[in-house]
Amino acid sequence: MQRRNVLLWISAALVYLFLYLPLVLVVVFSFNDSRLNAEWVGFTWKWYGKLFHNQEMLTAAMNSLIIASVSVVVATVLGTLAGLAMEQSRQRLLQMLVLAPIAMPEILMGVSLLVLFIMVNMTLGLLSIILAHITFCIGFVALAVQARISSMDPGLVEAARDLGASPWRCFREITLPLLMPGILAGALMAFTLSIDDFVITFFTAGVGSSTLPLQIYSMVKLAVTPEVNAVSTLLMLLTLVVITVASRLSPAVFRGE
Amino acid sequence: MKRLLVLLILLFLASPVLAGEELHLFNWNNYLSKEVVTSFEKSCNCKVVQDYYSGTEEMMAKLLAGASGYDLVIPTQNAVQALIQRGFLEKLDKGGLANIKNQDPGFLNRSYDPGNVYSLPYAYTTTLIGFNEQRLKEKGIEPTSWAVIFDPQVLEKIKGKVTVMDDADELFGAALKYLGYSVNDADEKHLLLAQQVIMKAKPYWAAFNSSSYIKELTVGNIWVAHGYSSDMVQARNDALAAKRDFTVHFILPKEGAVLALDNMVIPKEAKNKKLALQFIDFLMDGKNAAGLSNDVGAGNPNAAALPFINPELKQLTAIFPDQQALATLETLEATNAKVRRLKNKLWTEIKLK
Amino acid sequence: MQGKSWSKYLLSLPPMAYLLIFFAAPTLIMLFASFRYPGEYGGLAPWYVHENGRLTFDLTLENWQRLLGTDIYLRLFVKSIGYAVTATLVCMIMGYPLALMIARSSRKSRDLLLLLVILPFWSNFLVRIYAWMIIFSPVGALTRMLNGVLDLFGAGPVTLMYSPTAMLVCLVYVHLPFMVLPLYANLEKHDLDLLDAAQDLGAGKWRRFWLITWPLSLSGVTAGSILVFIPVLGMFAIPDLLGGTDGIMIGNVIKQQFMESRDWPFGSVLSMVLTVTAVAVVLLGSRLGQRR
Repeated sequence: MQRRNVLLWISAALVYLFLYLPLVLVVVFSFNDSRLNAEWVGFTWKWYGKLFHNQEMLTAAMNSLIIASVSVVVATVLGTLAGLAMEQSRQRLLQMLVLAPIAMPEILMGVSLLVLFIMVNMTLGLLSIILAHITFCIGFVALAVQARISSMDPGLVEAARDLGASPWRCFREITLPLLMPGILAGALMAFTLSIDDFVITFFTAGVGSSTLPLQIYSMVKLAVTPEVNAVSTLLMLLTLVVITVASRLSPAVFRGE
Repeated sequence: MKRLLVLLILLFLASPVLAGEELHLFNWNNYLSKEVVTSFEKSCNCKVVQDYYSGTEEMMAKLLAGASGYDLVIPTQNAVQALIQRGFLEKLDKGGLANIKNQDPGFLNRSYDPGNVYSLPYAYTTTLIGFNEQRLKEKGIEPTSWAVIFDPQVLEKIKGKVTVMDDADELFGAALKYLGYSVNDADEKHLLLAQQVIMKAKPYWAAFNSSSYIKELTVGNIWVAHGYSSDMVQARNDALAAKRDFTVHFILPKEGAVLALDNMVIPKEAKNKKLALQFIDFLMDGKNAAGLSNDVGAGNPNAAALPFINPELKQLTAIFPDQQALATLETLEATNAKVRRLKNKLWTEIKLK
Repeated sequence: MQGKSWSKYLLSLPPMAYLLIFFAAPTLIMLFASFRYPGEYGGLAPWYVHENGRLTFDLTLENWQRLLGTDIYLRLFVKSIGYAVTATLVCMIMGYPLALMIARSSRKSRDLLLLLVILPFWSNFLVRIYAWMIIFSPVGALTRMLNGVLDLFGAGPVTLMYSPTAMLVCLVYVHLPFMVLPLYANLEKHDLDLLDAAQDLGAGKWRRFWLITWPLSLSGVTAGSILVFIPVLGMFAIPDLLGGTDGIMIGNVIKQQFMESRDWPFGSVLSMVLTVTAVAVVLLGSRLGQRR
């Protein structure tokens, strides 16, 4: 057992290294005293200073966080329901509806949602972006939840039912806690997708509802400056803090215990 | 549930508080001088809200699908032409535009909008060749023509150090010019010839790159890049600032090149047309117009702006072409569905082979 | 288990309704668009003409015929599927030990380890790719080191930037968490007593893995593979930025239809084919997975 663990740890550590190699560069270059993200010149805080005076960038970051949080909450609920339903009975239509949005090229989804929103005369803005984000997030949550339940012991629920627990109580006290790691994994994926989406957001955004990715992509014409590294670093930190605090406040929800 | 509630409250707080009039502008990022915006906001007691697009085609796709709410858009000339054809644009009320006299007549009354009924020029760039002066000199290459990106004999010496734009119109435009045709030539035979030129040169290129060539040139990874003039100004300044052992320079190829003219237009669906018109007039004031050239190195179609432009920039013919150079430059025209399909097929073949 | 028949719909109704409105409806609009003509200057041409009190429909199969008229689109699909399969396999090989390690570590540290997997992905996509471009750059440390080693063995220098390798590395990088998270969610619930029992019976570590852990984790592997394979198949940003002159996937061509050539009908055709291919591959894969 021991030797295998060593091997496992080493390979896992290497994968972490792979994940963090570019990230270290992102963070390091946010302190680099050169407009070019190319080589180290010297230490500076100036990109952070600039960032705090960049109202547009801050508003965009705020928009991104709002959109991601709301769409993740809704998509997690809907996706969990879908995952449960798919596992309980073979529902072809639901299965297709869950899989297809993941498979749909994002550009088609963006254009088609835009066409739909225009057809029903909806004003484009934060709400339209949120509706779109929920659409592509549901599938990711549903699949993660399904992967979790597919070989879960159905005996537990049945035993509880036999002992006279109501279906709701069974769900709340047995199914939900057991599902939690799957739901959490799904929610994390959904958040990651939402906070970073460019294509679908571009098409569904209205006037004055720019998100961070929209803001950053639009800078491509003029070379992306380290200010973007700075805002990325801060966003990462902020998300980390929010999630850590939330999980401290209600560990049960986050760990499913 | 509580968390959801908090988020919803935040959502409402974050939605812009409507104070005074707002002008919604759809533009390239950093394509407007900040001081100009501030002084306009002061003079009209309004707020300029900008949304950005990262490519003409994205902006077009969005507008063509019916997105509205923008009061002023800054599209390139072929997009203007397509938007006019689709009936998207409002006729400009010239009576309210006192500063229209400042515009350089050389950039007015072009074929995409005869008589400038719907659009007024804002800024322009050319698509040209940026290069690393020292490295090319070492290889004995004197870049004067498109041959530096298309001729296999020249490319042999700089294999893997060249990037071209990832844009079918621009690259076909350059190849057509190299062959001596017009950038808008839609003759299938000529396009096939251009495709062959591109295919023969492709093995020597490092990449199709429209986004990061400024950096690649400045760092020294790439020695020759096909790209926009304003970007090359940026690359040159960056290389100077980073104190490289080389300099970046750029030339307009002798065969001629593509000229991109960005324009100010008002969509029919705009909510605040009056304010948009006022802003257009404000931007055509010489001093206000000059800000853009000084900031981003774009050419300026405003004659009154010239005295305010950095003289060093003004003397570069690649940025401010003289009459002789101007005669070789052509703007891209909007193409119909059939030509676009043909070009797309040829382009996909190029990419796949 | 009474009440299952209605609870089935109670559960599936909300997500189904949502997806029907915001996914199926717009998709049908675009499916219909694939039978229309492109507008002369972009968008779509009107699909019916009302003339002299007569209604004529202007629909066509041309967009679909165009797909079959040449082999370039088939070759594109094959190439893209090749990249997607490779990326999925690499993600699995890299993601499995990581997910297993997290699932087997102490309860306290799991959350942190999981968070560490996802943290890099809360920075911006473009910024991360640009960071990789710095790493791959010919003047970058990695390339110089690699070429230094190659030089010792007498091999010529290689370029990493703008190569299929660079593209693949980034495809894997961007999608790795989508493999790790569902795998973890699955591995975490495995009953460790089973492994102990197997050990008591004298099964070696590899045997224990192949006979117990791996078969039990198949649903996680399937979910992870779906979540990696499908998005990679439609990817266009990474081939654009890093693929060099040969970096093209089906996603790029679809993007071209909606952008540069403003040919929505053909873009719809390609998208529909891509979606159906992806869903078919996935259903087939999960069917095979279930059978085992």
